[in-house]
Amino acid sequence: MKKIGLVLLCLVIAGTTFAKGASEPEGAQNVTFWYHFDDPETALNPLIEKFEVENPGITINAERVAWDVYNQKLLTSVAGGNPPDVAQVKLWWQPQLVEMKALLPLDSYIAAWDGKDDVFDKIWDLTKYSDGNQYYMPLQMVILYLYYRVDMFEELGLEVPKTREEFLKAAKALTRDTDGDGNIDVYGFGIRGARGGHDWWGTFVLSSGAKFFDANGNSGLTTPEAIAANQWYIDLYRVHGVSPPTTPADGFKEIIANMISGRTAMTIHHLGSSTKLEEALGDKISAAPVPRGTEGYWTSFGDEENAIFAVSDVPDAAFKWTSFLATAENNAVWQKSSGQVSVNKSNATAGGNRFLKATTDSADFAGVLPANPGTAEFVESLWPALMQQAFLGEITSKDMMQAIADHFAK
Amino acid sequence: MKKRSGSFPYILITPALAITILIIFIPMFRTFTYSLTNYILWKPAERGFIGLQNYRQAFSDPILLLSLKNTVIWIVVIIAGQFLLGLSTAMLLNRDFIGRGIARSLILIPWVTPSVITALMWRWMYDGNYGVINEILVRLGILDVYFPFLASSSAALWAIMLALLWQGFPFFAVMILAGLQAIPNELYEAAEVDGAGNLVKFFRITLPMLKPVILTTILLRTIWVANSLDIIFIMTGGGPGYSTYTLPLYSYIRAYKGFDFGYSSVIAILLTIFLIVFIAGYIKSILKEGEK
Repeated sequence: MKKIGLVLLCLVIAGTTFAKGASEPEGAQNVTFWYHFDDPETALNPLIEKFEVENPGITINAERVAWDVYNQKLLTSVAGGNPPDVAQVKLWWQPQLVEMKALLPLDSYIAAWDGKDDVFDKIWDLTKYSDGNQYYMPLQMVILYLYYRVDMFEELGLEVPKTREEFLKAAKALTRDTDGDGNIDVYGFGIRGARGGHDWWGTFVLSSGAKFFDANGNSGLTTPEAIAANQWYIDLYRVHGVSPPTTPADGFKEIIANMISGRTAMTIHHLGSSTKLEEALGDKISAAPVPRGTEGYWTSFGDEENAIFAVSDVPDAAFKWTSFLATAENNAVWQKSSGQVSVNKSNATAGGNRFLKATTDSADFAGVLPANPGTAEFVESLWPALMQQAFLGEITSKDMMQAIADHFAK
Repeated sequence: MKKRSGSFPYILITPALAITILIIFIPMFRTFTYSLTNYILWKPAERGFIGLQNYRQAFSDPILLLSLKNTVIWIVVIIAGQFLLGLSTAMLLNRDFIGRGIARSLILIPWVTPSVITALMWRWMYDGNYGVINEILVRLGILDVYFPFLASSSAALWAIMLALLWQGFPFFAVMILAGLQAIPNELYEAAEVDGAGNLVKFFRITLPMLKPVILTTILLRTIWVANSLDIIFIMTGGGPGYSTYTLPLYSYIRAYKGFDFGYSSVIAILLTIFLIVFIAGYIKSILKEGEK
């Protein structure tokens, strides 16, 4: 009996060894890939299957990391010397990752890549790092625009605002008591006061005189114009009361829930929320470029790229994967999961969807936050805390702008 | 004649001691060494010894002082609230009534609910646009309009403390209930014979007999509550502004949002010292009581 058991055990060990040998031919390369969206079934898994068929010998090990802890896990994995081969990344992490010498420059790979001319030139410009190297491979993009309730605008005979003065006028008119109980039920504008709301703030403050850095590299946040622009934004909540009382604590979920329920009549976001809003509101929701500030337009270019890590022992296979995802046909599939816009010229479609139109209409003035190591902390914790204090009247507009300027001066 | 046990006891405690050294003392020592460096995760080239500079910065940091103040309020209010609520619940559950078994089980629900769910649930209950708490308060006529509890710097900390009070009081209730059941009935019978009323029985028999349980539970909960940050992080993220920052949350945010592990370590060390002083004082006062 014992002998039979021993023979069986030997067979199992031999079987698994051979099976491993059979499934991993000599020179097999495993590419670890980190991503953060919830639904890999729609696009990622089919893309991996397709890639592995087209590239025998390369296996993609995709690992989902929760968005809330994505950045910290990525940086700690780099510090620990064990990052993935490829990871989805955002532009404002780039300065820290470059400072850590974590990224592989991709210039020579990209120069030899056939698909490079099909990626929008502006994306190459925006993602190129200040040291002249290209570390990021484009993956997806969005541009923030203004969502508005068509039915409410029509009911009050309002035009879609094109300047910030028109915007304030419309927001005031839309803020009203609709059931006659003496309390306001609808607010003109849903402001995101919690983490992530810097894009709302930037739309009005960075378009009206505030600059993170001026032409000489000095802070442009503490000039009288910049402080006045910030004050104008604070007053939307404190003086004009055109956003809900919950504004300082409102995050993404609250902003979208308020639009869906009719609590707010306008907000700012991107294509990623259009499906949900259209499902709930149908033709009652539409989109337009954000209003013009005193100096021009500014809206946020929301980006996502792939980066290859310098310690990867399979850089060639990793580049094949990132370039595969940035190729028009595959990139279009990817956007089914991301809900965002393809980075390829050949995927661009004219007209049609009103949300896509608002996106493309905003492309010329979309901007990004400064390529500075302080940007990540500004976004994650400094801006939300300062903005909330300013909204609650605990600090002045000047205090807030000075604190941001001091942070970037460190 | 006592028999000497030789090295046997030391051999027995060695595994536990080794694990404690490995997962408690070595990280603690590392935290201390980090606190003396400018260890910013994304600036590996600049990392170096800076002596007490981080500590000097801490003592003039207004956010740290606010976090310390909030931590004291957080511990005192939550522990006192959970104790009083737990004690009254335990007294109630110690009486005979129909459905007592079910009530004893149901009371544990807040305690077994994961913190993440507790936090999300209370966050939506407090919501200033659709929250059920606002709806009830308006219907009762206590509020005229919905109040943004979590967007108000004066109300947010108290709102979160109420959520934690709800979550933690069953632990007190269960521990105290176990203590109540261990009190011999003869003591109450004897007191009744002597003509003692309910209040006298409570203060002269119940509370003194429960003392060891209460003191241990308070000690444990103080440590847990002082270190808890998950509910705050999910409900407000420390906001609005810095109004719901406590020391562990501030340490976490400095480490994982600012990646400043040097300064974050200083905050963690100050929290440890604060807790050691707090608990040492508490234990000392217990021992003094015991000697009386």
